[in-house]
Amino acid sequence: MLNQRDLRPKDMGRSDEQLIKLDNLIPLLAPYDKPGMESPLTDPKPAWKEKFCTSLDGYVGIDTLTRPKSKEEEDEFVRKFLSGLEKIFSDANNGVLQPLLLSFEYCAKCNTCSDACHIYSATGNNEMYRPIFRSEVLRKIVKKYFTTSGKLLGGFVGADIDVNWETIARLGELSYRCNLCRRCAQTCPLGLDNAILSKEIRKIFSQEMGIAPTPLHAKGTMLQIKTGSSTGLSKPAFLDTLEFLEEDTEEKFGIKLKFPVDKKGADILVLHNAGEFMAWPENPVAFAILFDAAGLNWTLSSEIMGYDSVNYGLWYDDYQAKKIALMQMKVAKEFGVKRMVVAECGHAHKASIITGDRMTSDRVPVESCLPLLWDMVRNKQLKLDPSKNNFPVTLHDPCNIVRQMGIVEPQRNILKAIAPQFREMTPHGVDNYCCGGGSGFAIMNYANFPEFRTQVASRVKFNQILGAFKGTMEDVATPKYICAPCSNCKGAMRGILEHYDASEKYNLQYGGLVELMVNALISMKKPFLEFLE
Amino acid sequence: MILSIIAYLSIGLFVGISVFKAYQFAKMPFHGRMDLYPVPKEKGFEHGGSYYEETAWWTKPHEVSHMREIVEMLKEILFIKKLFENQRPFWWISYALHLGIYFLMAWTILLVVGGLFEVNGISVTANTSSILGLLVYYVTALTGYFGLALATVGSGLLFLRRAFDNTLKKYTTPQEYFNLLLIFAALVTGIFTWGNDLSFGYAREVTANLVTFTPFSANGLLTLHIFLVGIMLIYIPISKMSHYVGKYFTFHKVLWDNNPNLKGSGVEQEIKKASSFRPSTSWSAPHINPPAAPEK
Repeated sequence: MLNQRDLRPKDMGRSDEQLIKLDNLIPLLAPYDKPGMESPLTDPKPAWKEKFCTSLDGYVGIDTLTRPKSKEEEDEFVRKFLSGLEKIFSDANNGVLQPLLLSFEYCAKCNTCSDACHIYSATGNNEMYRPIFRSEVLRKIVKKYFTTSGKLLGGFVGADIDVNWETIARLGELSYRCNLCRRCAQTCPLGLDNAILSKEIRKIFSQEMGIAPTPLHAKGTMLQIKTGSSTGLSKPAFLDTLEFLEEDTEEKFGIKLKFPVDKKGADILVLHNAGEFMAWPENPVAFAILFDAAGLNWTLSSEIMGYDSVNYGLWYDDYQAKKIALMQMKVAKEFGVKRMVVAECGHAHKASIITGDRMTSDRVPVESCLPLLWDMVRNKQLKLDPSKNNFPVTLHDPCNIVRQMGIVEPQRNILKAIAPQFREMTPHGVDNYCCGGGSGFAIMNYANFPEFRTQVASRVKFNQILGAFKGTMEDVATPKYICAPCSNCKGAMRGILEHYDASEKYNLQYGGLVELMVNALISMKKPFLEFLE
Repeated sequence: MILSIIAYLSIGLFVGISVFKAYQFAKMPFHGRMDLYPVPKEKGFEHGGSYYEETAWWTKPHEVSHMREIVEMLKEILFIKKLFENQRPFWWISYALHLGIYFLMAWTILLVVGGLFEVNGISVTANTSSILGLLVYYVTALTGYFGLALATVGSGLLFLRRAFDNTLKKYTTPQEYFNLLLIFAALVTGIFTWGNDLSFGYAREVTANLVTFTPFSANGLLTLHIFLVGIMLIYIPISKMSHYVGKYFTFHKVLWDNNPNLKGSGVEQEIKKASSFRPSTSWSAPHINPPAAPEK
């Protein structure tokens, strides 16, 4: 094992059992700054070492990446990777060729991006997670195999890396140590984007080698294409769920709620992340209450691909991303709605509004729920009493919605109007930090990956939260609410709060934006937020 | 004569290869959106927002402020703003090099102008009666002093920093040291060549001879200097030091390109064109259906 300070990109080919071990995480803020408040990081189990690639940092990000049983298998693995690597620079990858080549060719290695990365910062500036470390490994392999200068001049131009199973498997794992939040790209003086390179590595593994984390691929996009939802929720089950939620809402709040489904003549088709119906059903319920209160003509769809907004392809596989985006668009077009509104799911925002924007020419317009919700507040379509939310509230900015779409103000305007104790995190807006659950991390829950997500990837975010609630944390009687208008971000928040037992110990709560809005409705006879009861 | 050819050829190749590179990037296939905010051209959303903050955004005009975009671009070109904001210690030396290069570009133009003035009988000296000659004389001197000093110190310190900084040296290839050394060597030979005459009269004379293909006797040092500058000018656009080309595309065509796909828009046309393209290569994973054979 190397001291991380000595780690160099070409060390990725070394035969060490594990290249580095995380041992210098940044301290957490109060009240988590006392000894014993956090469990130590663990070593991988011997069985995982034998089966998976734990030789990077001890964590398993890709559960389908298993060790070869023979020399032939190893050689085939390397061959396939190199074949995929060549393809990312070919016309098979036209949709990203220009941005990829720019980021690939022009890095001046000034390291300006390093401090922008929350994972690099969280690990006490561990060399392994420096944004250009991964990119540089990729450059070395490309130079070695695919450039004349690399073939002729070798180490002089940086083509000095040993390429074997370990090198490539580690690089694959390392591509899942980046949340693709693109904060590093904001700081690059040349406008380069290391996240593009991380994603290209993921794409080679998936699109060429057929290797991708099960929650993203087999139980993600493949399941969604087959059943209509990555949750596996079938149409009858979806309709049953809605019925149950209607009954439950009436029972709890005395509200006779009726989810409009496949309503002809509706203006708006609302797309939820189907995970909300399973994990946070209060979120789609809150949307329904608000949309009805504002008198919108809206509907849900029960068609396959019409009731789940997710598109995990965005994180690892362009082919899957396009397939899902086009299937979702087809549902909207056949339905004949005037517009689609994406509910509180960050990556679904980006997939359907930004990425999907250039996939087909004939599109139903898509918009975010956030401006629509702000309009309801601004135009006084909702009767709200902010005093019902008189507890500290902070806002997490989902990277996909804020940094990558420019939707910054509507959600803050709403909070300023309905939450008297709203306070910002530092930094916030387009400069926010990722929750640590981005690009699939939030749903990758096998082996020891949740430990990496919660204690490493989410670490800076947890400190931001503790900073925002400074002075109120120890006041257990007062709830502190993290407003995270994104399903994946909520998944990451849930992981943080559970791991640090923060709800139990400090009354730290999390949820979406609409729940807080419904809680402020004058018409609500009792609190909508469960923790207020 | 050979030195004149080197001078013309190297400048021609520098411009030609740079333009060719820009052309290559410009004709690359239409790509997906990768906007990253703040996008300076977004008018009315100066907090870093975009037109997506509006409901029914597709029904409203997308207002763009080219002025803000240009101002942001100039801050980056003239001051390397992002480096200044995010990595101040490195900015000092990087900016010294870049500012030095800007001065040297101006200096070179002024040497040509001054040389041509001299050829045409306008004296470029400290005690000339021509105001224009006087102006060219002093501005040439100032740009020359600052340019040579800043660029030499900048390239030298960048080299030393890369060589001795424990982090940077892990990522620096021998070629990248060579890049800095080449610039440094071209500059140092320049200082030794022109340094004996701080009025730059000799530099003007040589420049005039080079520009007009007038034979002149050149010593070893001058020959080496012109040769190194020539090599440097040809090498820069073929190396990654041509980031002055790439930077335009990274910002304008990737990070700041948020033009939506609206009916009747240019983007819609591009999408239609791109969707009829059949790639000659395809991915091999089992879940991917091979596309149809490429069109003949």
